[in-house]
Amino acid sequence: MALHTPSPDQLAVADELLALLRDSTTEPRPDDQLEALTLAVAADLPVLLWGEPGIGKTAALTQLAESLDLPLTTVIASVHEPSDFSGLPVIGDDPAEQGVPMAPPDWAVRLVKAGRGLLFLDELSTAPPAVQAALLRLVLERRIGALRLPSGVRIVAAANPRASAADGWELSPPLANRFVHLQWTHDHDVVVRGLGGTWPRATLPRLDPERLPNAVDHARRAVCGLLATRPTLVHRLPGGETRRGGAWPSPRSWEMSLRLLAFASAAGSSREVISLLVRGTVGDGPGLELLASLDRMDLPDPETLLADPAGAELPERGDLRQAALDGVVAAIGARPEKARWDAAWAVLARAAETGAPDLVVVPATTLAALRRTEWDVPPTIERLAGAVSMSRRADEAAALVARGARSVAGAR
Amino acid sequence: MRTITGARTDTREGGGTGVVGAGAGPDASAAAGAEAGPGAGSRTGSVLDRDKLFAARLFAVRARPYLATALFALHVVESRRVPTMAVDRHWRCYVSPVFVNRTPVEELAGVWVHEVSHLLRDHHGRGDRVARERGLTGPGARLLMNIAADCEINDDVFGDGLVMPEDAVTPGSLGLASGELMEDYLSRIGLGAGMQHLAWLDCGSGADGLEREWDLGTDGADGLSKQQQDAVRFRVAQAVKSRPGNAPRAWKRWAEEVFHSPQPWRDLLGAAVRSAASASGAGEDYSYGRPSRRSAGVPGAVLPSLRRRPPRVMVIVDTSGSVSDAELGGALLEVAAISRAVGGRRDLVTVMSCDAAARTVHPLCSAEGIPLVGGGGTDLRAGFARALRTAPRPDVIVVLTDGQTPWPEDRPSCRTVVGLFPRDASRGGSWIENDPDYEPDTPPDWARVVTIG
Repeated sequence: MALHTPSPDQLAVADELLALLRDSTTEPRPDDQLEALTLAVAADLPVLLWGEPGIGKTAALTQLAESLDLPLTTVIASVHEPSDFSGLPVIGDDPAEQGVPMAPPDWAVRLVKAGRGLLFLDELSTAPPAVQAALLRLVLERRIGALRLPSGVRIVAAANPRASAADGWELSPPLANRFVHLQWTHDHDVVVRGLGGTWPRATLPRLDPERLPNAVDHARRAVCGLLATRPTLVHRLPGGETRRGGAWPSPRSWEMSLRLLAFASAAGSSREVISLLVRGTVGDGPGLELLASLDRMDLPDPETLLADPAGAELPERGDLRQAALDGVVAAIGARPEKARWDAAWAVLARAAETGAPDLVVVPATTLAALRRTEWDVPPTIERLAGAVSMSRRADEAAALVARGARSVAGAR
Repeated sequence: MRTITGARTDTREGGGTGVVGAGAGPDASAAAGAEAGPGAGSRTGSVLDRDKLFAARLFAVRARPYLATALFALHVVESRRVPTMAVDRHWRCYVSPVFVNRTPVEELAGVWVHEVSHLLRDHHGRGDRVARERGLTGPGARLLMNIAADCEINDDVFGDGLVMPEDAVTPGSLGLASGELMEDYLSRIGLGAGMQHLAWLDCGSGADGLEREWDLGTDGADGLSKQQQDAVRFRVAQAVKSRPGNAPRAWKRWAEEVFHSPQPWRDLLGAAVRSAASASGAGEDYSYGRPSRRSAGVPGAVLPSLRRRPPRVMVIVDTSGSVSDAELGGALLEVAAISRAVGGRRDLVTVMSCDAAARTVHPLCSAEGIPLVGGGGTDLRAGFARALRTAPRPDVIVVLTDGQTPWPEDRPSCRTVVGLFPRDASRGGSWIENDPDYEPDTPPDWARVVTIG
């Protein structure tokens, strides 16, 4: 490389190179974590993004602000002092007469004037404890000094995971309970493709005005249905060091889940997104139970199946199909009548003909046990012959193993 | 899952005249086999005998009721290109019709359970992680992963109603101890001469994460999404927990850990010590003791300034006979590293050994380790009392113990982190001759407890 005296031209060339490097295109790509973030922000719940440094949290927030058309205010918590968030005490002429006002920082004043915006509190985990304490008042009460943030301002915070946090930042259970916790990870393919010049453009969920009443109804049924049968899930403080600082179930976080469910179903979001949101609000175990009960809500209604056995539409997936058949048999058990019993056999026969017959065996056994002495066996039952012989075949194999049990045990 | 029947079939059907080879021929297609009718099993191996396959699944469900949800959730795909039975990471189960025809129902049931175990235990995800962490590439490494995963499964899924075939890969057959995880087995086996007979082993991408040419892939029909897989795992875990008497120990351990990975104790201990050392009252925080550096610019405002006081950490080491030297050494090194990371200078970290009485106190200045004195019974109350009497008083007390000790009645006046070496109560940790019912107290509520190891 030859050495030249630096000249203004060189800087122009450098600018050209920089422009080329900046030149990148975007492609649409569904992004579950961004969709979950958008829904939580839309639902006006404080979100806490957990992620390693340099993983693209800030970039995601920029994109979110753009798509929601909200001005973005980023505040790096670790370079501020507590008085920046609780207000600077400014002593006036006569403190005894007028008091000491707590003056807010300029970005807060601008936010309040604008009336709307996205406030991003970055690097929460590297701020000293006193700054964190002041920040939490901002997040929870929306107050900065004497100012109160208008409701059009949405707040998102970001923190590094405990393992990589340089300081002792962690949430106490009451504070953790007020956040929607989203784990922020990077997608290897997205990064490689992005550095190659094509960044993803997330398609953001749109709330459908026509779905709103149904969405509220659906969310209420899901949460209430689960909590009615599982009272211990309503409130459970996290125990043990592993789950400290994360999401846990309480009436407050269940209400947040309900709200998020309603938003997700109004937006028509996928189960993956709902899973991220619910597990980030009430924790993994209760969240999974809620998702499981959502699955059950999607099963066909047993009474509908009984009303028209010939046209019964059963789920394709085996475990769901058996759950639906169990529901049918349980409905007969709840209200045993001869006609309903016959209809149930017809449903089982249809199930045996349209899918794997082994699924039918257990429901059929239970249904047979519900028979009253005066009831005749319906002719439909012959259509279940395949399932019966299959059951016999399994019995024979079991008997074979039982006879050979000694030798099997010996082989071990 | 060729482990189970491959070799035997060769002898049964005449010296390996390409039963598998015929299956992998060019005309093979991975079509979903809906065309097979009942009684197809009597013909020679070209049509999938679904009745036999599902009878085997029924058998498996009866033998292992807690796996029912997972077994039923598998989507069966007839495929002539798989050697036996295989699964992919989307919970599809590829079945070779030839294999079904030549295998008895009771053995097929074992194969079902074996294949679904790969998926429940997330062997493909764990395989990917191991491959990334250890830099493993290529089919050879994936084959080893499959063998290691089979070892993890086969040492406890069989028996109790399910037949274990003679040629299944077990830890015992490779000369390893049973009851360990895939990752552990993987680091102990290599592709040596003894492994040649396993080179044809193949449980599909669900077992080792390597995509096969017969895989229907992410875009194919009838796969389970990640959330659906989690839901199935969750339900199986609930079923295992709800009938604790029936499930083998490995499944119970799996059910406990499936949604809570085993504690990363280094991280947890680090977080606990950091949190204790830097909470207000110790370490870095604002104080009004001196004017802020900003004060000059804001006349009239009262500003706090940043002051730093490194925390003093006292490590109490339980040196009673029940704690092994290796355990103590490892944990002590961790604590020393952590306290340096929080800014505790080495001279501010002190170590005290304590059994039934508090022993000498050593600063952590010398790198050559600290003499740990003791070996008798345990009473950590003496250690606490001594630690709180030292001047200057520590900001944090870290206790490393097996927990076989009485604890102080009252909360001490500084933050406490307990690093606990787990002890199996049934193995009889502490025992008092005069009082067979004696049970040592659990660590108190006021301490943050991290289980180590």
